[in-house]
Amino acid sequence: MSALLEKHIVELLGERNEKAISLLYDHYGDTLFGVAYKVVRDEQLAQDILQESFVKIWRKSDTYDSSKAKLFTWLFRITRNTAIDKLRSSNTKMEKEIQMDVSDVYNLGIESIKPEFLDVRENLDKIEQKYQIVLDALFFQGMTQQEASDELDIPLGTIKSRLKIGLRELRKIYGSTSALLALIISIL
Amino acid sequence: MKEKIRIFLDTDLLEKYLLGSTTQEETLQVERYIAMYPEVRQTFDELQGNLEAFAKMHALTPPEGLKAKILAIIRAQDAGKRRFRRYAIAASITAFIFAGSSYFFYDQNKNLQQENVIVNNKIKSLEADMREQLEDVRNQFIVLNNPNTRKYYMKGNERAKEFKAVAYVNPVKKLSYINVQNLPQLPEDQCYQMWAEVNGEMVDMGIIRDFEDNDKLWALPYSDSAMGYITIEPKGGNTSPTVENIVANLKY
Repeated sequence: MSALLEKHIVELLGERNEKAISLLYDHYGDTLFGVAYKVVRDEQLAQDILQESFVKIWRKSDTYDSSKAKLFTWLFRITRNTAIDKLRSSNTKMEKEIQMDVSDVYNLGIESIKPEFLDVRENLDKIEQKYQIVLDALFFQGMTQQEASDELDIPLGTIKSRLKIGLRELRKIYGSTSALLALIISIL
Repeated sequence: MKEKIRIFLDTDLLEKYLLGSTTQEETLQVERYIAMYPEVRQTFDELQGNLEAFAKMHALTPPEGLKAKILAIIRAQDAGKRRFRRYAIAASITAFIFAGSSYFFYDQNKNLQQENVIVNNKIKSLEADMREQLEDVRNQFIVLNNPNTRKYYMKGNERAKEFKAVAYVNPVKKLSYINVQNLPQLPEDQCYQMWAEVNGEMVDMGIIRDFEDNDKLWALPYSDSAMGYITIEPKGGNTSPTVENIVANLKY
């Protein structure tokens, strides 16, 4: 998302203009839906979460502080926390375990993958599974490195190095565009 | 200093903050580090970029119609809020008017109560006056109508030759009245004062003001062999009669 569009959306949010939600949905809806799904592994539940999250985003729009975090970070926090609350309240441990198994067929579970996401899926495939797992634990499961080490039964040192490499790989993929953006900004 | 930053970055607090799972205290600490150390700020910005990139890799298209549903909910909530605000405004205005009118009625009620007390007092005093006057008239009637009543004519001495008065004395009912018929004009600074000598004591009967009203009967205190006097006194009356100014007397 361009910084300009982000600024525009933030302004609209400040003015309590509904168009802000419409734009947010167009630009972040897919990603946030993916976040919700990653946490709960249930499409119907993920829909409820996305809906609830957008209502929260609208209601709490005056609490967003652009000096503290990027807009996406704020949106992500709201969505992920909503998903975690939902998961806690609606699932028994048993069900959760079943859903963890379902997660393995995640790519088959959702039919509605847009063609334009195929390249990000490809991007995801560019990152080796072992790095993905660590990134997953960090960004979606919200584990500390120590917790990831315990949970995944991988030594802390390995977690640290895999995370480092995973982040570097990630930067390689999206960094090409952001490096370009940085270049443009520096020229301006 | 570098060591401090390294230790901080090792704690995973920045990652926890990124995901929004820090406690309030931790949030303050992280925000302080971000504001103070550019290295921390840079690490955090990188983490934010990584998060967005990694999240985007997991993007999924939500079902058709969810956007419209969300917008409808938001619109309904806002309308509800607006409606609530309207109701709240209406309710405050109503409450204000109610408070205002309550005070108005309270004030009016208080005033009316005070007025009521005044009117009641007036009625009571009027009643008392009426009773007194009625009693007086009754007594006058008794005296005038009683066969035992004796009638005395009074005439003035040299000082007031035109003075004329009639006294009615009833020894049975022990009532006496005097009717002043005519009094000579006096200078502005003088007045007529009536006295009665009862059992050797001089009783002030008051100043004769309306001697034009020659139908008025003055009640006199009754006693056996009492004396009535009329004297000329300085304006406003005197505390004891001036003997040399006696214009008329009456033994009854």
